[in-house]
Amino acid sequence: MSRALRLPYLLTAALSGFLFGAGLYVSQMVDPQKVLRFLDVTAIPTGGWDPSLAFVIVPAIVVMFVAVRIGRRQPEPLFDTDFNEPEFKRIDAPLVVGAVLFGIGWGMSGICPGPAISLIAFWPDHLPIFLIALFVGSYAGAFVIPSGREERLAVAR
Amino acid sequence: MDAFSPIPALAGGLLIGLASAILWLGNGRIVGISGIFGQLLPPARTIVWRVIFLVALVLGALVTAYIIPGLGVGGPGGEPAQLALPPPSLGIGAPVWIAIAGLLTGFGTKIGNGCTSGHGVCGIARLSKRSFAAVGIFFSVAIITVTITGIV
Repeated sequence: MSRALRLPYLLTAALSGFLFGAGLYVSQMVDPQKVLRFLDVTAIPTGGWDPSLAFVIVPAIVVMFVAVRIGRRQPEPLFDTDFNEPEFKRIDAPLVVGAVLFGIGWGMSGICPGPAISLIAFWPDHLPIFLIALFVGSYAGAFVIPSGREERLAVAR
Repeated sequence: MDAFSPIPALAGGLLIGLASAILWLGNGRIVGISGIFGQLLPPARTIVWRVIFLVALVLGALVTAYIIPGLGVGGPGGEPAQLALPPPSLGIGAPVWIAIAGLLTGFGTKIGNGCTSGHGVCGIARLSKRSFAAVGIFFSVAIITVTITGIV
């Protein structure tokens, strides 16, 4: 049986997802308004700016930074044969255009994919519209970027 | 809760970092929500763990809202969650605005290979040049978008 279908692997995925969702609720990054109040830097002079998002992402990065360093000294992860480190290296056009389009969507809504999915727990009005659009957009994107690992690597390695 | 909330932010950030560390050291996978979500369709052989992760993501938010109620939006004692509505001056209906935002987010994260979690947390932690570029771009563009639309 593939390692990706064994119980420890699936339980790890469940634990990670659960903690991630808990973190999004505790930090209130599930609240689109709170994210938008971070992005609204025009409120800095009036004292209305909410810097909370920076206080979420920085400790998350620090913990993950340590985990990456620990991982580099291990031959393999605990429950699989390889670390799936992204192989793309070059800053190519799809990366830049994708980040611009995502930035517009994020600025319009205050929700990125993690909070969008966790919000299923609290079911705000119009959430299904966002989730369906997210899926359709993602599916459409797969037709635009070079399909297949080799072709994609040729562009972005 | 309108104001700056550093303690819940730090606690939530540590949980998110821990979640990322566990998936990386346990399964050798990056916690990138757009990637986990965007590769749900067959023939992905990895569909089982992706579905489990996403269901657990929802349950994590829901259960924690019952354990620690009233932090802000969500759960018992919390305010109802609300999506951002378009600025009234634009004359665009909320469903259209939300659909456009969702399409741009789905399409952009797909061709850009990541979002706030995959590039923002994991990519920066891996010191990936691509992730530094992506994060700089999408934060800047989001700030500009909020400024221009005046949505807040």
